[in-house]
Amino acid sequence: MSEPQSALLLRKQLAELNKNPVEGFSAGLIDDNDIYRWEVLIIGPPDTLYEGGFFKCHLHFPKEYPLRPPKMKFVTEIWHPNIDKNGDVCISILHEPGDDKFGYEKASERWLPVHTVETILISVISMLADPNDESPANVDAAKEWRESYSEFKRKVARCVRKSQEEC
Amino acid sequence: MGNCFKRATTDDLSLLRGSDSIRETFSNQLGSSPYQEALTVQSISPVYNPSPSVTSLVTQLTEEEQVKIAKRIGLIQHLPTGTYDGSKKARECVICMAEFIVGDAVRYLPCMHTYHMRCIDDWLMRSLTCPSCMEPVDAALLTSYETN
Repeated sequence: MSEPQSALLLRKQLAELNKNPVEGFSAGLIDDNDIYRWEVLIIGPPDTLYEGGFFKCHLHFPKEYPLRPPKMKFVTEIWHPNIDKNGDVCISILHEPGDDKFGYEKASERWLPVHTVETILISVISMLADPNDESPANVDAAKEWRESYSEFKRKVARCVRKSQEEC
Repeated sequence: MGNCFKRATTDDLSLLRGSDSIRETFSNQLGSSPYQEALTVQSISPVYNPSPSVTSLVTQLTEEEQVKIAKRIGLIQHLPTGTYDGSKKARECVICMAEFIVGDAVRYLPCMHTYHMRCIDDWLMRSLTCPSCMEPVDAALLTSYETN
């Protein structure tokens, strides 16, 4: 009885992702000795403004995983309505269930203990393709996305170019 | 739908004490073992989540939170349990991603999804929804009462 359930579960997922990689991202650990901190490289989804970009993200899992969700942060600079200016990702499936103070999200859209690195990344990749401007984390990006799309496109293109230089 | 209510029901007030499965989960419960040393009881006080992101020792809970948790434990107790015998369709507990082994304690939700008792009870204490189909467990349980 050495490792907690969360560590075993994450180790299992890491092994599975190494064996059968999923299209759209690659996953590993930031530090090989810490199973709770992952580094993921998201490939900008084709046919979106982010196409061609390589976005590095960190996932930080709590010890109570899978009962509680991880936190996700883009390390590479990115301009998107649902990612705040510090890189923190704001999507409903990473929010804990419970009383929703603001009434924005249904319980079914929030965190569930069946989510894995793979299902989280699939949601984030689909969020890149399809921003949700109802609850923006980056209000300026959301406003631009709605009102001055060409400026929004320009900023995203700049991030994509920058991400290619960093890789 | 079949019911296997094996346990006698208890009244609301005694639920925090009377929950077998939750007691197993948290290994230590108020007055659960007369032989336990008082010191151990104090140092491994059970931990609850009055809301999903808040973790409190049982001694730190407000009265309102205690009632809420007691009701929740009572509700979970009404969900049928069993032992995995290898005959069911479900092969894996999707919470811990481990295969069921014959003899594992499992719990059946009203939507017929099956999990390790340990895994699902911890989750239900935070949110009363089935992790697979997101059906609200409390509403489904009430419906199953009405139809029986």
